[in-house]
Amino acid sequence: METFGYTGKILRVNLSTGSVYTDDTLKYKEFIGGEGMSMKIMWDEVPAGTHPFAPENKIIFGAGPLCGTGAPCSGRTNITSLLPSSPFHGIASSHMGGYFATELKYAGYDLIVIEGKAASPVWLRIEDEKVRIEDARWMWGKGIFDTQAMVASFMGKEAQVAAIGQAGENLVNLSVIRTGTSHSAGGHGGVMGSKNLKAIGVRRTGSVKIAASGKDWLELDSYMMSIIGANNQMVVPSTPQPWAEYSDKGSRWTGRKGLFWGAANPPVETGECDPHDMQSVGLRTMKAIFDLGAGAEKYTVRMGGCSHCPIRCHSQLKIPQLEKYGLDPYVANTCVGWSGPRGVMCYGIKDFDGNTGPDAGIVGNAIGTTLADDYGVWCNYAQIGRDLKYCYEKAVFKRVLGAEEYASIPWNKLLNGDATFYFDFYERVAFKKGEFSHIADGSYWIAQRWNLGEDYWNDKNGKLWTRGGYPVHHSNEAGAQVGALISCFSNRDSQNHSHMNFIGSKLPVALQKEIAGEIFGSPEALDAPAVYTKMNVYKARFVKYSLVRSMLHNSLTLCNWMWPMAVSPLKERKYRGDTSLESKFYSLATGMRMSEKELDEMAAKCFTLQRAYTIMQMNTVDLRNAHDQTTEWPITPDHAKDGTDIPQFTPGSIQMERSDMELGRTMVYREFGWDETTGAPTRSYLESVGLKDVADRLAAAGLLPG
Amino acid sequence: MGVIFPNKKPRSAEAVADSPGAPSPAQPAHEPPAPAERADREAYALRLIEFIRAESSGGRLTSLSTLASRFPTPEELSKELGFSIASVIAEGPDASDLKKMEGSSDAWYFSESTITGSYALHLLRTEEKDPLMLIAETVRDESRIYPRPTDLTFFTDPPFSMNERELSQALERMELRPDMSDIKRCAASNGATYLYSTKYLGETLAETLAEWIEVGQKQNP
Repeated sequence: METFGYTGKILRVNLSTGSVYTDDTLKYKEFIGGEGMSMKIMWDEVPAGTHPFAPENKIIFGAGPLCGTGAPCSGRTNITSLLPSSPFHGIASSHMGGYFATELKYAGYDLIVIEGKAASPVWLRIEDEKVRIEDARWMWGKGIFDTQAMVASFMGKEAQVAAIGQAGENLVNLSVIRTGTSHSAGGHGGVMGSKNLKAIGVRRTGSVKIAASGKDWLELDSYMMSIIGANNQMVVPSTPQPWAEYSDKGSRWTGRKGLFWGAANPPVETGECDPHDMQSVGLRTMKAIFDLGAGAEKYTVRMGGCSHCPIRCHSQLKIPQLEKYGLDPYVANTCVGWSGPRGVMCYGIKDFDGNTGPDAGIVGNAIGTTLADDYGVWCNYAQIGRDLKYCYEKAVFKRVLGAEEYASIPWNKLLNGDATFYFDFYERVAFKKGEFSHIADGSYWIAQRWNLGEDYWNDKNGKLWTRGGYPVHHSNEAGAQVGALISCFSNRDSQNHSHMNFIGSKLPVALQKEIAGEIFGSPEALDAPAVYTKMNVYKARFVKYSLVRSMLHNSLTLCNWMWPMAVSPLKERKYRGDTSLESKFYSLATGMRMSEKELDEMAAKCFTLQRAYTIMQMNTVDLRNAHDQTTEWPITPDHAKDGTDIPQFTPGSIQMERSDMELGRTMVYREFGWDETTGAPTRSYLESVGLKDVADRLAAAGLLPG
Repeated sequence: MGVIFPNKKPRSAEAVADSPGAPSPAQPAHEPPAPAERADREAYALRLIEFIRAESSGGRLTSLSTLASRFPTPEELSKELGFSIASVIAEGPDASDLKKMEGSSDAWYFSESTITGSYALHLLRTEEKDPLMLIAETVRDESRIYPRPTDLTFFTDPPFSMNERELSQALERMELRPDMSDIKRCAASNGATYLYSTKYLGETLAETLAEWIEVGQKQNP
């Protein structure tokens, strides 16, 4: 049967038995694709209580129905499995960009479901319908860069490779799966390692068919391209420019006159990128200077990114100084790929080893990023650096490391800002050398292992958001209760940008509030930065919208670092975007007509399934108290410079208040239709969305509310 | 054509255009056209309008005095009762994209097709060569519109491009101006200095926002 949007096939690989077969994608179509389908497969096939590193666990690489269609920003790979760093090994997804998912679709597969454990190291070779489990003993022990090159030596440079480094091999909880030079999915590297699976290589000859006519597709695509902004859907430039009514120095729309990709030959000027000029969309986001400072301009060869994405947000640099350290001078990354390793140098990077001034920071950061990317170490959204600092300053390391090990660590390099500290740090972590290496177990596990106590959890500078061991990720500082509550519903850092792509648009607040009113029913859905008001139903709608859209994007698969597009850079549109674009693309791609509301309901169902799985894993129906609570610091008043408290809900405070957050939880549960006391889905809700089997299983376990 | 942003009591545009003592024109961006052979009003207006549009495309305002200097008025037109360049432009063909701003000693035109009103205001304030007023009015706008405190580097970057010395002198003088007493400073923990207007932002809020812009935002990418 001909399928549109979907390839129609799921690749199933059992590494214990060596069996390889395909399954029908469309039997899962009510779960959209990507993350949604993965949640369903995990729910059906991996019992709660399974250890992430057990052969019975599965790891699912998912591409959605929009991936490979050419829909803008659709190159994401969703990876779902049990998360080793979670206290209860919660179901969670990690994501990577690049070209892997698109190649997978063109090879003929929507998802890869991997289970079991190979007897010895293997890699998976996918060339259209030809799928083989190959010997990887000679690859084992190598970094990701070498591994990718080895796979490419068999499959050709066109092959897309997802691989783990030594950290994943050694079952480090905080490890990544990486594709391309800079696209990392943090958290599940160890799961691949536990299966003795070093890499997956994909090369294809096929394509993805879409149901719509080329004319209709192009029309929608062009319309969407008029609405798109810069990275994170920021729609005003960072500097005043003639075409722009507004500007904001924090914007990622950094292109301007006189700013160059300085290491290109010849250098390329980003220029002023009028939003009506489609040819300059890719020049808007000059991320190198945003992530690394103005000094990075001269090292920038170009901006890169993912398949089918006009926004090039990955800085691709040539830093000759890296050769001195035996590293490739070409280095690329974006966002936390830079700032995560930078956080490991928790006292900053200063002049070191002949590198001075701004160059020292850039060279040093690039060393850290290269090592993290090669060993495949995850930063837990920069938490690993904060944990390192806490444990050093609180003398935890002195307490828990033996004297010999403590003395062997070059603390002076860390304290003096000498970035060669990275070599020592990442080697210990990736190879699990000594007690120190447990710093990469994840925050919850080090708190247990090293008995860190309440002070650790409640340290405001530590930024731990919940006892789940993950930090803030656009939380209370992002739309007050909206961001704060969004971060309470995850089993890892929330990775949710549905709200940030709106709140962070950099438009004036009054304008944003107008738009919020149109989407959520009242301008009260959005507070001005640091002028927070009490919880209300419109904020609850905003929370639900954000949670649902994130699930939707990870299912379609679209980049949640760009989508949804509630705003636009166009004055003539009064800066309005279009939140129905996802459903329009879905309808045209698959031929299954779907309204915005209908698609959101499907995504809400997928999100609820994740919630149900979490209930089974935590073995409690009371998610309100067992799962959805923050640590104490977010609900404690701020202090003014004179040491006095700044009460919550006074201008200048971004802190939350305990009872208000409880009200917020109640309102969000109500928006979803879940039980308002526990935050668990009810039988009636589950049956109403076609999840009777889920209700039955929860009931059998005594985990339905009421 | 609209008139926007009169931020000071202006002299009339007409008076400037007719005055022999009008300010020197800005550096020419294009060769002036040959003297008008057709001295009709519409052709003359078109030349003025196209010049304004061309300058706007380059991100520049056009002053009335520049127009007067670069486009001599055809003799026939200058004899008209009540003639002025401003009226020619205003009554010219299809000039709906042109906007006029009144400065303290000149009037300024731009095409809204290529320059937004807010950017034009930045340019006007720069042209006015009154750094204190430039800083105070810009900070007030930022505190009111976004609202946010304003980083000092905002004024050293284009289109203002003040040098450090000009900026520090202006800030010192500003402290002596009662009419600018609403402009206050605050600092982020990384040492960056911000300005805000107490008409629109309180001290605590301004400090929180400055800290977020400088430090928090970078820690929460």
